[in-house]
Amino acid sequence: MPEWKGKTRGGSLGYRIFIALIKHCGLKAAYALLLFVVPYFVPFAPKGTKASWWYWRHIHHKSRLKAMLMVLKHYYRFGQIIIDKMAAPSGYEKNFKYDFNNYDQFLDILNSGKGVVMIGAHFGHWALGGQFFGDYSKKINIVMYDAEYQKIKAQVEELTGGRNYKVIPVNEDEMATIFNIKAALDNGEYVCFQGDRYINDNKVLQHDLMGHSAKFPAGPFLIASRMHLPVVFYFSEKEDTLRYSFNFFFAEAPKRNAEKKQEMQLLDQYISVLEQRMKIHPEQWFNFYQFWQKE
Amino acid sequence: MDREIIIKNINSALADEFEKDPSTFSADGNLYDVLEIDSLDLVDVIVLIEKLFGIKTAKEDFASVKTFNDLYKFLEERINK
Repeated sequence: MPEWKGKTRGGSLGYRIFIALIKHCGLKAAYALLLFVVPYFVPFAPKGTKASWWYWRHIHHKSRLKAMLMVLKHYYRFGQIIIDKMAAPSGYEKNFKYDFNNYDQFLDILNSGKGVVMIGAHFGHWALGGQFFGDYSKKINIVMYDAEYQKIKAQVEELTGGRNYKVIPVNEDEMATIFNIKAALDNGEYVCFQGDRYINDNKVLQHDLMGHSAKFPAGPFLIASRMHLPVVFYFSEKEDTLRYSFNFFFAEAPKRNAEKKQEMQLLDQYISVLEQRMKIHPEQWFNFYQFWQKE
Repeated sequence: MDREIIIKNINSALADEFEKDPSTFSADGNLYDVLEIDSLDLVDVIVLIEKLFGIKTAKEDFASVKTFNDLYKFLEERINK
């Protein structure tokens, strides 16, 4: 059974309180309130706390004391990024500074006229800085699990006054999803996946991540490897209070190879980049469920 | 294009792509069962058809394709349209 059920935690009252606070008192006030909210999550989000604890103990080999502190920091960083996500479209975006790595090369790919497959992770936050994507964002399609999409749709639209990107929902009709993805790519658009979450246990690829076995969704890697289009791994990370970095990495085209399937060749490259990012910003790994398979 | 040529070409390509013996392909055989694919692997079939015959497929085209015969019929109609 997949651990993640396709829904994202978070009530709309909480969002509303933070949105009001950002609007009337500013970003720092929202960060200050977060200091009081974070300890609440430790006992009242037991699954997330347990997963975070395991992450710090087994993946980063922290002592019990250090792991306890890191669980708090983990929640705090997650909360900060959600607050930034809410603040940016409410007029705060200009206050953030952005660093871009490999951006020119990334733009060359976007300007090639071909469809582009982009694979990210629940790591840091990439939607922030949308202003830099400008007209490109009109060609962005985000592949999202239907339950997650329905839950955040209203909140996102309320906050941003409407999306400036398209969503391809993943639902029961898998065939429809595949054809929608294919149509977008054929149309020279960009299709973004999250490469670290699955909801169908039968359609996964197994791979070690940070020394422990984990499952990854087969879909993004299988589709990306078959389309013969450029594949970009993207990660946006919070560097300090008002600074984010956008990091783009370009996958080598997989080759038909009897020893290793093409989707696995792509997954290898994705894991390599993801591990690199996780070592730099371990507290920005935002999968608050038992991601790894316990030995 | 002749139906026989279409069948020969698509069978050969499917056998190569999914590493199957083409002699196991029968007109009434279920495409998904024989090739051991699911809807996710359909992307392979779609890309293969596009590459082989230059045909772009839509979901509506493919929804009724269940057997090899359905596939041959669909290809024949589209190629000779």
